[in-house]
Amino acid sequence: MTRGAAILPVAAMLAVALIAWKAIVVVGGLPVFILPPPEVVGARFVRAWTDGTIPPHFGATLQEVILGFLVGAGLALVIGYGLARSVLVGRLLSPYLVAAQATPILALAPLLALWFGAGLLSKVVICSLIVFFPVAVATMVGVRSVDANLLELGRSLRATRRQVVATLEIPAALPSILGGMRVGVTLAVVGAIVGEWAGADRGLGVLVNLARGSLFDIPLMFATLLTIALLGVVLYGLVVLTERRLVGPR
Amino acid sequence: MSGHLVIRDVAVDFARPRGRLDVLDGVDLEVQPGEVVALIGPNGSGKSTLLRVAAGLLTPRRGTVELDGRAIVEPDPAIGLVFQEPRLLPWRSVAANVAYPLELAGWPRPRRDARVAELLELIGLTGFAQARPSQLSGGMRQRVALARALALEPRVLLLDEPFSALDALTRERLNLELLELWGRTATSIVVVTHSIQEAIFLADRVAVLSSRPGRIVANLRVALPRPRALDALDAAAVSPLAVEIRRRLGEVAA
Amino acid sequence: MPSRRPLVAVLAALLAVAVGACSVGSSASPASTPLTVGLGFIPSVQFAPFYLAQQKDYYRDAGVEVTFQNKIDPDLVVLVGQGAIDVGLADGTSVIPAVSQGIPIRYLATVYRAFPSIVFAKESSGIKTAADLKGRKIGIPGRYGSSWIMLPALLQSAKLTTSDVQIVLYPDFGQLAAVEQGAVDAATGFINNEPVQLQLSGEPTVVLRVDQAVPLPGPGLISGTKTLSAKRAAVAGFVAATLKAMREIAANPDAGLDAAIVAVPDLGKDRTTQKAILSATIDAWTGGGSASGLGAIDRDGWTRSVAFMTGLGLVPNAVTVDQLVDESLLPKG
Repeated sequence: MTRGAAILPVAAMLAVALIAWKAIVVVGGLPVFILPPPEVVGARFVRAWTDGTIPPHFGATLQEVILGFLVGAGLALVIGYGLARSVLVGRLLSPYLVAAQATPILALAPLLALWFGAGLLSKVVICSLIVFFPVAVATMVGVRSVDANLLELGRSLRATRRQVVATLEIPAALPSILGGMRVGVTLAVVGAIVGEWAGADRGLGVLVNLARGSLFDIPLMFATLLTIALLGVVLYGLVVLTERRLVGPR
Repeated sequence: MSGHLVIRDVAVDFARPRGRLDVLDGVDLEVQPGEVVALIGPNGSGKSTLLRVAAGLLTPRRGTVELDGRAIVEPDPAIGLVFQEPRLLPWRSVAANVAYPLELAGWPRPRRDARVAELLELIGLTGFAQARPSQLSGGMRQRVALARALALEPRVLLLDEPFSALDALTRERLNLELLELWGRTATSIVVVTHSIQEAIFLADRVAVLSSRPGRIVANLRVALPRPRALDALDAAAVSPLAVEIRRRLGEVAA
Repeated sequence: MPSRRPLVAVLAALLAVAVGACSVGSSASPASTPLTVGLGFIPSVQFAPFYLAQQKDYYRDAGVEVTFQNKIDPDLVVLVGQGAIDVGLADGTSVIPAVSQGIPIRYLATVYRAFPSIVFAKESSGIKTAADLKGRKIGIPGRYGSSWIMLPALLQSAKLTTSDVQIVLYPDFGQLAAVEQGAVDAATGFINNEPVQLQLSGEPTVVLRVDQAVPLPGPGLISGTKTLSAKRAAVAGFVAATLKAMREIAANPDAGLDAAIVAVPDLGKDRTTQKAILSATIDAWTGGGSASGLGAIDRDGWTRSVAFMTGLGLVPNAVTVDQLVDESLLPKG
């Protein structure tokens, strides 16, 4: 399938979505301050990016997302490995991990903002919390799924512990780990926004509230939401690309 | 002396919920340098267990394994292993799979690449160096496993039913290839097999293992001249030796 | 014929009952229009006029059946513009950018003549005027809302900008504690909240108000233009009844306090504090003037405020005062 032929269905779906959006606005007679039509949002999006409204907030959120993801995923890789290979670690940590996951981040965020302040730190903490679980579980499942036959092969070739991890366990676990990271990276965006809502001076979440409650600029609010969505899509795409390069055909 | 493997009085048991399971009880087997020994026995007779003890992967309750006078208590680079499944790393190319033991042993890149090229030539898969295991047939994968087992120039090759998962024609072809490889590398070989025909075709001697608790109950010399061609394979199937082996197996089948 | 009389009587009786039932349905409230009113914040003593008017049936007498939404609602202005809420209590400084962005609302009556967002400090800080704020630390909840319009306006009167002061952020609204502990020299707050609490704790307090600098329009009653065309009489009745209750409370604060405690019993736990808050609230309604002018809209003040906020970049499309306010619903006289 040529590149062009592959893009066609995607473009068609997008066109259908935009037409449906416009139809809802027109048929429902909805005013701009309730649901702006796509062309208004599009124009406002372009303007907000070029006149410097969105970029500083985008930069702030991007920073939170990336740092939060790196910290959360990094911890998750280590702890996930421990959970896979050590019964003791699993027994000690599992109840707390599950409890932490079950507590809604929306409820924890204000507490974390209180403890860690309204700056970058609390957002990174919130993001890493939300990223941690899916990546840790994916790592644990992936490492556990290593073929026992391959582990015996490694033993027969006198592989050291480090060599087993690097040459057998991690490559075998990579598809699962990267799958978890796909989920994690999109959740990181959610975490950053939730963290900003709990108290922040800058960021796309802050801009959404500003646009909505102070500026009454609903097209800007939608343009900001669009930016947030695009951020998630791009980050997800980056993980998929990484997956293709690292995992490859098997 | 190169490739003189001596297995003496090896006994192995496993703890099971219902009590101790004696798998091997006093196995004696000697492989002379450059000899091919086929190990045949009924199902569950501990053939694979014996191979693992010889490879240093399993510690016996009793008994010793010595290679050229040195005790084998853990995996040794002088012993190459081929399992029933190819056990190739699916995320690596053929070349990288063959290089794996060299990598683990710390060989520098240029030396590794040279040896891999040599081995791929030996098994005739030079053109498939960059292919992934998933792109290969079962027979080709086992050949890669064979090349990998030969990477560190072992003095002994232990093969655990290496061709039993393949179709009959491929199996025949690989039997021939194994003999050819043996001709060029002169390693000692112990091959576990279920096929009387294969045992006779490949080996200088056929050792018959009894059922649990396993012991060597027969050590039969194969008088076929070398080099052996496929007609020898057909002859082996109906030879008096085959009848004899079958009889011995029948005696010990539980 | 004798057999037909009872039948006619029964039919007549049934008919009478039916007619009576219809008129019972309508006679209890001949022109009662339901109105949803969004107060925009959680129940507190500052909403005393609404509680009083409700309890004394002022709304019902005006032919209005009022349902209050007494919670924090960030979308109040939009909902009023949409017509989902009939009347709202909202900042005049929100009305200006909202109308500029095309939200069809009108400001009908002023509730707070004095702009309630203020800067407060301990007297011991030495801060007496806006000029004294230069270089000092000022605590704010965030760079949004009415305080982020009030502060530049206040500073401007002393030829200062927000870069001439050190802004310290308290997203959890801890500015009062910050002032008490001396972490900041001053902070933004509300005229009937932080300074009242600070003063009650025994700390002499200074309050800087923006009214002399820029007469920003404080909270008032707003309604959507569609609602105004459909329910004009009801909205006017609501406005009149509310202003009546305000006048009553201005004359007799205890009546307001009692009405608030009936509506929100928890307030009765600390009458002293609530009384002080109500007192400051009443002062903010009247702005120090007389209670008879309650509700009046200062058009000149609105014009100057529009100009100021346009300077802050908050008014993307130009608006006139006629697009912002509608005084025709104020009771005459």
